[in-house]
Amino acid sequence: MIRAKLVLDRLLILICAVATWQVCSFVFGPQWFSTPWITGGRFIASLLDGEILHHAQFTLAAAAAGFLVGGLPGMLLPFALRRSPALTAMLDPYLIGGYGVPKLAVAPLFILWFGIGLGSKIALVASIVFFLMYFNAAAGVKAVSIQLLDMARIAGASEADMARHIIWPCASPYILAGIRISAPYAIGAAVVGELISSNQGLGYLIQAAAMDFNVTAVFAALIGLTVLVVGINWILDRTERWLLRWRRTEATRVRRFRAAA
Amino acid sequence: MSHSGRCILEVRNVVKVFPPRPGRTDALLAIQDLSFTVGEGEFLTLVGPSGAGKSTLLNIIAQIDTPSAGEIWFQGRPIATAFGNALRPGWDCQIGYVTQDDNLLPWRNLLDNVLFPLRVQRRLSAESVERAKMLLKATGLEGFERYYPHELSGGMRKRASLIRTLVYDPPVILMDEPFGAVDAQTRSQLQADLLRLWNLGRKTIVFVTHDIAEAVALADRTLVLTRAPAGLAGEHLIEIPRPRDLGNIYTLRGFAELYERIRRQIQ
Repeated sequence: MIRAKLVLDRLLILICAVATWQVCSFVFGPQWFSTPWITGGRFIASLLDGEILHHAQFTLAAAAAGFLVGGLPGMLLPFALRRSPALTAMLDPYLIGGYGVPKLAVAPLFILWFGIGLGSKIALVASIVFFLMYFNAAAGVKAVSIQLLDMARIAGASEADMARHIIWPCASPYILAGIRISAPYAIGAAVVGELISSNQGLGYLIQAAAMDFNVTAVFAALIGLTVLVVGINWILDRTERWLLRWRRTEATRVRRFRAAA
Repeated sequence: MSHSGRCILEVRNVVKVFPPRPGRTDALLAIQDLSFTVGEGEFLTLVGPSGAGKSTLLNIIAQIDTPSAGEIWFQGRPIATAFGNALRPGWDCQIGYVTQDDNLLPWRNLLDNVLFPLRVQRRLSAESVERAKMLLKATGLEGFERYYPHELSGGMRKRASLIRTLVYDPPVILMDEPFGAVDAQTRSQLQADLLRLWNLGRKTIVFVTHDIAEAVALADRTLVLTRAPAGLAGEHLIEIPRPRDLGNIYTLRGFAELYERIRRQIQ
């Protein structure tokens, strides 16, 4: 019952948004806003002829590869640094400084170094995701309870045991939060990289269409981008719920109430 | 000296001072020149008011804290001194520690929590799992093996934390008010469980509490600690015969006098 109402409510918002879009295209002219109907048709057509899938694949590949190259080391670094506070203190100002640099300003440099292909996009994504993952994972590693560590030591756990059985699970909600924060950034960075210079990807598609004053194609590409981000988010949401099933949160309680209703 | 067998653990002139910190200019003396011995297989209880340095003492014995002066001897060897060699928490799984908080791992179910020490000690076997299940059954936790800690009641979590230590069989078990935060009903049930389990293996137990009745009901011998800095205020052999009916402990002969004597010493 409640589930059906939720879907209905969400549909209502979608209808409102589409209606607003339609009104805008009436008032300002379809040359600026296209129309929902034409855009929808264009989106489906480019889905069927594989054009949008090809470009989405490129963007996704750049985001995923950048995530591996930047996010994975960023996630693991706090585990490596845990046992040496001196090294952590030494690196700290540089990590904070690196986090603060606006990466988009560095993008032209990446293009000079790695060309206009996949390489420069991966570098841009990696440079952003690395810091997001590092600071989230570091917060998780710091949040480990000393009592649990003491308990484990007394029970005979080695450092490796503690990393695996205590620090990793304890930091995992933070790491998952880091991944969820990073995912849209990774896609966004890949798209911006493509906007600046590329011959593939959703960013390129948007840029090329805008150059042609083809508003319909811009909107179709934006829809593709939205679907991509929402899809990734849905997958991450499911994964998180499964990995953190040991946790009692307000969200699980709400779900239970809902199931009971 | 203890009445039951040879000495396994000895606390020798232990002093613990916490250095001054913001908001407090003088050092805090938590334990002052405390000495006592524990016999093998003995159930020793330490009773004293809250904040008497009892937990600090157990932390020192368990080697997660160091004494400021004095020594801890275990099986005829000094294991902790003020000029600390590196700490070895639990002394190679020889000293178990059941803390006030249950400290179960929230991301492991009940059975995995109980098996945790065996797993990290690489002693997981069909027999040890069987033993853990037997202990779970003996304390009414059968059927809850796959539950996560947040799905269990406070009393069940206490039992689990107790079994987690019993399951790897350390010769000495320290207990720091393990039944502090549960209701009176559950508490006497847990105490009965503990005595039954203790009877199976007759481990050496050092049990800290601020509850005089609990201290007397469980112990072979009770030491009374003063307010901080903790020192010895009295020692009592508890000669109430076992097995004891914990439900009616107040009516047992000798209990009331003991209770009253200890209460006066604490004040």
